[in-house]
Amino acid sequence: MKKALIQIMLFITFIAIYMLQVGFFSNFTIAGVKPNLIVILTLFIGLFAGQNIGTILGMIFGIYIDIVIGKTVGISGVMLGIVGFLGGYFDKNFSKESRIAIIIMVIGSTIIYEIGEYIFNILNYAVTPEINIFSRILLIETIYNVLITIIIYPIFQKVGYRIEENIKGRNILTRYF
Amino acid sequence: MRKNKKNGIVGIIITIIILIVIVMISNTNNGEASFIEKACNAIVMPIQNAFINIKNRVTGNSSFFSDLDTLKAENESLKQANSDLQQQVRELEIIKAENETLKEYANLKDKYTEFTTVPGYVINKDISNYSDNIIINVGSDDGVGKDMTVISDKGLVGHVISVTNNTAKVQTIVDPSSTVSSTISTSKDPIVVKGTLESDKELRATYISTDVNLVQGDNVETSGLGGIYPKGILVGTIKQVVNTKNLVDRYAIVETAVDFNKLETVLVIQQ
Repeated sequence: MKKALIQIMLFITFIAIYMLQVGFFSNFTIAGVKPNLIVILTLFIGLFAGQNIGTILGMIFGIYIDIVIGKTVGISGVMLGIVGFLGGYFDKNFSKESRIAIIIMVIGSTIIYEIGEYIFNILNYAVTPEINIFSRILLIETIYNVLITIIIYPIFQKVGYRIEENIKGRNILTRYF
Repeated sequence: MRKNKKNGIVGIIITIIILIVIVMISNTNNGEASFIEKACNAIVMPIQNAFINIKNRVTGNSSFFSDLDTLKAENESLKQANSDLQQQVRELEIIKAENETLKEYANLKDKYTEFTTVPGYVINKDISNYSDNIIINVGSDDGVGKDMTVISDKGLVGHVISVTNNTAKVQTIVDPSSTVSSTISTSKDPIVVKGTLESDKELRATYISTDVNLVQGDNVETSGLGGIYPKGILVGTIKQVVNTKNLVDRYAIVETAVDFNKLETVLVIQQ
């Protein structure tokens, strides 16, 4: 029951962040490049709520984005699912206390997500590959994502530990010993 | 612990300030950025002027070369007159071509009255950096269907790729996966314009045949080939012609007539 409630809450958070991305960050850009908050959110869900919930919610977010604004349904779902899965994987292998680790995770998942989407676009819509411009945009986007992570992570960390406690129960410490 | 927390908050505030400063700097106009240029000029210019003055006096003073000087001046003025005349000829050519296209537009206007259009607002934009779809607030209930052309008061916007009852998803012409078959309005030469990743205001014109004479400032309009866009809708103007080693590879950058960042109202043409 509580788990379901948490998942609904996470979906509402997603809608709020989606609105923020559309309304605010389409104007608040660095050299015309927007950040990607949804990748950060999915990664954090994978980190705190576990691999299964991260993957499934990531896929739901992606499919929602595809339905609302994308050209075909699927690719964002798959890529965000991978990001959620990676979040769960990072949780098992790295500490969430270290900010450097979190920043590296955000860099990795942003790059994986965008490269996956871009390759799919090239293959599916005969887009002319523009590697130079793509890497420039990707670099700025990654830096922007890192800056936002530094700002919001302390808040998310508090909420995240509470979610983790509720979902995984009190025996989370056992795996460290 | 407490100190650590304090440090964390200071770190966050500094990051926010850095973020805001980066956004502000990266979005300032060129006009404002040239303030530094002006300041630099103000320091150097008076000295430079003085030097030029001295140089002019030295060269102009010698009476021996006075004849040569007048000849030079005459030559300069003749060259100037020649270039003026060439300019006029070119302008007349442009006016002639424009006259023809205007005559055609007059016919097209009658043609457009056959089309009925549905007005709509842009209600949502793409969240990704790598595609440029928009969503408008008219759907199948208003008679909008797939593959219909979307225009604004300035020119071509894109075409509808999917519809719901109340909304329609539009792929704009600046999307990297969009391709529009077009013609240059003065010479009627066919080109293909594609969206680019680089900018929301520019398209890349490719497949230009080798004997075409591209001129900066020429209008580009839809050719009517391809089955989606009707003929004669303004796409944009040629901003820059980029010549490569091989003439076949050359391309041109086309500035769109529509400003997609400020796009609010659109018209959907019902075919």
